[in-house]
Amino acid sequence: MIPAVGYPDEIRALIAQLKRLPGVGPRSAERIALWLLRSRQTPSTDLATALNQAQAEIELCPVCGFFASRTAGCTLCGNSDRDVTQLCVVEQATDVLPLERTGAFRGHYHALHGRLSPLDNIGPEDLRIDTLMQRLREGFITEVILATGSDVEGEATANYLAGALGASFPGLTVTRLAQGLPAGGGLDSADDLTLLRALSGRRRLAAH
Amino acid sequence: MPITSLRLRDFRCFESLSCPLAPGETLFTGDNAQGKTSILEAVCVLLRLQSPRTLAGRELVRFGAPGFGIAGSVNGRELTHTHTLAGTERRLLIDGEASTRPGDYLAASGLVVWMGNNDLELVSGSGEPRRRFLDFLGSQLFPEYRPALRAYEKALKQRNFLLKRDASPAWAEIDAYTAVLVPYGETLLRLRAALLEKLAPHATAAHTAIRMADGGAPASEALSLTFHPGGDSSQLSAQLLARRADEARRRVTLHGPHRDDFLIALDAMPAASFASEGQQRTIALALKLAQATLLREARGQAPVLLLDDIFGELDPGRRNALLAALPADSQKLITTTHLHWLEAHERPAARYHVVKGSVTPE
Repeated sequence: MIPAVGYPDEIRALIAQLKRLPGVGPRSAERIALWLLRSRQTPSTDLATALNQAQAEIELCPVCGFFASRTAGCTLCGNSDRDVTQLCVVEQATDVLPLERTGAFRGHYHALHGRLSPLDNIGPEDLRIDTLMQRLREGFITEVILATGSDVEGEATANYLAGALGASFPGLTVTRLAQGLPAGGGLDSADDLTLLRALSGRRRLAAH
Repeated sequence: MPITSLRLRDFRCFESLSCPLAPGETLFTGDNAQGKTSILEAVCVLLRLQSPRTLAGRELVRFGAPGFGIAGSVNGRELTHTHTLAGTERRLLIDGEASTRPGDYLAASGLVVWMGNNDLELVSGSGEPRRRFLDFLGSQLFPEYRPALRAYEKALKQRNFLLKRDASPAWAEIDAYTAVLVPYGETLLRLRAALLEKLAPHATAAHTAIRMADGGAPASEALSLTFHPGGDSSQLSAQLLARRADEARRRVTLHGPHRDDFLIALDAMPAASFASEGQQRTIALALKLAQATLLREARGQAPVLLLDDIFGELDPGRRNALLAALPADSQKLITTTHLHWLEAHERPAARYHVVKGSVTPE
């Protein structure tokens, strides 16, 4: 009896690697592997090069925690046009991107790389709070904006930081992202808690 | 008409099921452990995204299957709820379109009152079943109830964990959670107080009506409900601060809606200790009927009544009194092991026989 033939080992290894990627199942992994091989030369070698380069070049900036290049440095920390008096604290490095897209913030960032969650065994010492304190001790920063999420853990992290910063740096302004009505929405579409927060975070309008 | 059809895939003992439901009553008969309750449970999960039997979604998946699916026509819209075990992923569809916010889905869905054999716990049990009763009702009445409850429970869990974790409590971390817990807790305390105020007169009226139908004197045995909040809805923060030393000693959060309860009394005597089992069953029934009345009054829509084998414990006279007391305009799905006592009624009901996870019209 002739044994049934499967893919050669090299292809199987490629499929196995692809299958480990997030969101890729066995079927997709097979399809991607075959596409990469069939199209020969360019796409697969380009992919390999890009992967190698990213792997070799990218690190997390030891100061702000955002993605940085080993040779070119951090695009955020290295930019002298940015406002050194304002610091925006976020949970993850990727949280910088939506804030940057608004174009409204020109200060610096600090990614904590996580948030407080005792049940998951994540305490203050597991977050990049020491480096945050160190940056503040340099004395340039006058305002810290806490931009952690508005869920339970995000709020708790912001509360904790507000307490810790207030105790160590009495002159520092600590602010929290405002919460309230969604843009373009009426009052009836907001729930009680959102309205409550919108009310407590209300602002004065300039008189005309 | 609330729910006109139900389809199941890999839900509990059902590999697949498809059955139309009557606008009035639909009866499911069969022996014990054949899957009758699971059908009612599926309706409850489809309409309210929660099961009265379990908090764990994985328990609803048929043994060995990758996930479950429930679908049905509800108020003229197609609702679909699928749940995949891998990563416990839930997908909700309204008329084939993904609904990412459970709040929107629940708003499009119908209302539910569950009546089951263990309703007696509402009267005789600890505060836990009474809080769950309020939660089930509150989630259907106030859109902000469910999110507040979820967030409160999460914050409470983290806070209690922190109180227990260290030899001397790390108050800086604990208070980071206290500040999150307080607004959600105060919201819940306020909503539950409002809920009980609305519910109490309906419960008293329903109780009197059942007793009258059963031949009791109207003047005696007045049912009253009194809310005992676990904290002050505007002073929770100060209350917790005042109990700091106690919390450090007992290592648990001492104020908040997780300690809410309500006292059920007959003629001012606590029903849990002074009422007979028969009286307690009547009270439990009155609470559920009051829930139905309140839902209809507040939301302008009659809730679906899911009656899980509640007739077994009652004598024929009380069964009929109960059937007569159920709101006439509500759709009813009923499970029972025996039919013979119902025959005399000759109600126009759709009937199904349930045997080992399969359903046949009778």
